[in-house]
Amino acid sequence: MIKDYQDVIVKTVARLVVPFIVTYALYVVMHGHHSPGGGFQGGVILAAGFVLLGVTHGLERTRRRMSEKAAGVMSSVGVFIYAGTGILCIILGGNYLDYGALTGLLLVSRPEARSLGILGVEIGVALAVMAVMCLIFFSIFTVDEPGEDEGSTE
Amino acid sequence: MNTFFLVVGVGMCVLVLFCLYRATMGPDVLNRAAGISAIGTKTLIILLLMGAVYERVEMFIDISMVYALLNFIGCLVLARYIEETGEVSC
Amino acid sequence: MEITLMLEATENAFRIMEKARKHAVGLMDTAVEFTAEETRYSDRNRIQALFTGGQGRKTRFQNCVGTSVILFAFWLLLSGKFDAFHLTLGIICSLLVAYLFHDLLFANVRVGDMKIVVTRFLAYIPWLFCQIALSNIHVASLVIRRKMPIDPQVVMFKTKLETDVSQVTLANSITLTPGTVTMDIQEGIYYVHALSQKAADGLSAGDMEDRVAHIYMEADHLYVQDVLDAARIYEELKM
Repeated sequence: MIKDYQDVIVKTVARLVVPFIVTYALYVVMHGHHSPGGGFQGGVILAAGFVLLGVTHGLERTRRRMSEKAAGVMSSVGVFIYAGTGILCIILGGNYLDYGALTGLLLVSRPEARSLGILGVEIGVALAVMAVMCLIFFSIFTVDEPGEDEGSTE
Repeated sequence: MNTFFLVVGVGMCVLVLFCLYRATMGPDVLNRAAGISAIGTKTLIILLLMGAVYERVEMFIDISMVYALLNFIGCLVLARYIEETGEVSC
Repeated sequence: MEITLMLEATENAFRIMEKARKHAVGLMDTAVEFTAEETRYSDRNRIQALFTGGQGRKTRFQNCVGTSVILFAFWLLLSGKFDAFHLTLGIICSLLVAYLFHDLLFANVRVGDMKIVVTRFLAYIPWLFCQIALSNIHVASLVIRRKMPIDPQVVMFKTKLETDVSQVTLANSITLTPGTVTMDIQEGIYYVHALSQKAADGLSAGDMEDRVAHIYMEADHLYVQDVLDAARIYEELKM
């Protein structure tokens, strides 16, 4: 539905700003311990960057960067990272999501292992949130494309 | 210094009330969009003033940057939608 | 006199090559469409990138490096922590983002000219501040008076700038200067709303446009690089 926008100013500013938005989102994810942020917030900002690209440069070019299939795969990978870290802790002898059990694998002290475990989980959460929000954006904005649903009897 | 920031913050809140009038009473959608964008800018400044009062400015800078970003993108998406569908009533 | 004739001849030659390039792009697109099933996806991308001015491998590598340096500086500015763990995270993140979005920041600039463009841009900013201060005083003197002698009008002028970054720089400079606001840019024509006749005259004089063209090195000399690009495409076509 969103055709390519012809406005020079908005297109140029959006194209210059998107790498900084994505870097800012990764900063928010990685610094979850020290300042407000974490996985969910960083994922939303990442998705906002892709929404900006989609609104200004047209949906076709954004689909080349983040297709719906890639978004589906990434959301599953995010959940897999989260659950996988928990099961890794079980394999190494602790409880589910007991990050202290990662000391043997990462060769750091127990508090640092907990911190790194939380960081890994936040990365998984950010990936999943970004992928799901991009999917929602794509499905809302392509709702009246022809040939989308073939189950209607009208 | 804290009193100064507090007074300025309360002044900004009063200005937000003026923009809120335009955002509710605007005859069509474009007036409301402009009002909400202006409210977003003032909210940004109120957040930073709160950060100065609580003496943790670095925390509030992160929050206000995110809010500025979302304000910008939201205003852009709304303008694009109005341009595409052409509905300016309600 | 001979130099002018030579320049004219080169310009004509360049125009002919430009037309031929456009024809070749059209032919190539049709050919790619007809043979779409046989052409592999990577080959088609490469051929299309060649004709639509996409970046070659060396340019892409330089873009990646430049983008990652800028993004890492931005990361250092945001995060005040300089211990090894956070710095490593910063390097990894900026490299990842630069690899994914390398064609966004430096899309239209020839990378060899980057130092000159940056230096001239930094020298342009103080002049812009002077203009903003002068226009501030002029608009304030208009508005404070009781009768408020403003004369709002819309000025249209065609621009000689080509790349989108230079057009956006000019539009932003006009909007930052009090008294003038850029409303729209349609097909190279600027629609600017000016508050008084003096502001509109300052706009039509074209001083700001000349300075912005000087920053990005446009519209003041013959583009040897464009001729070389066209020659490269001809070499590939002649195969």
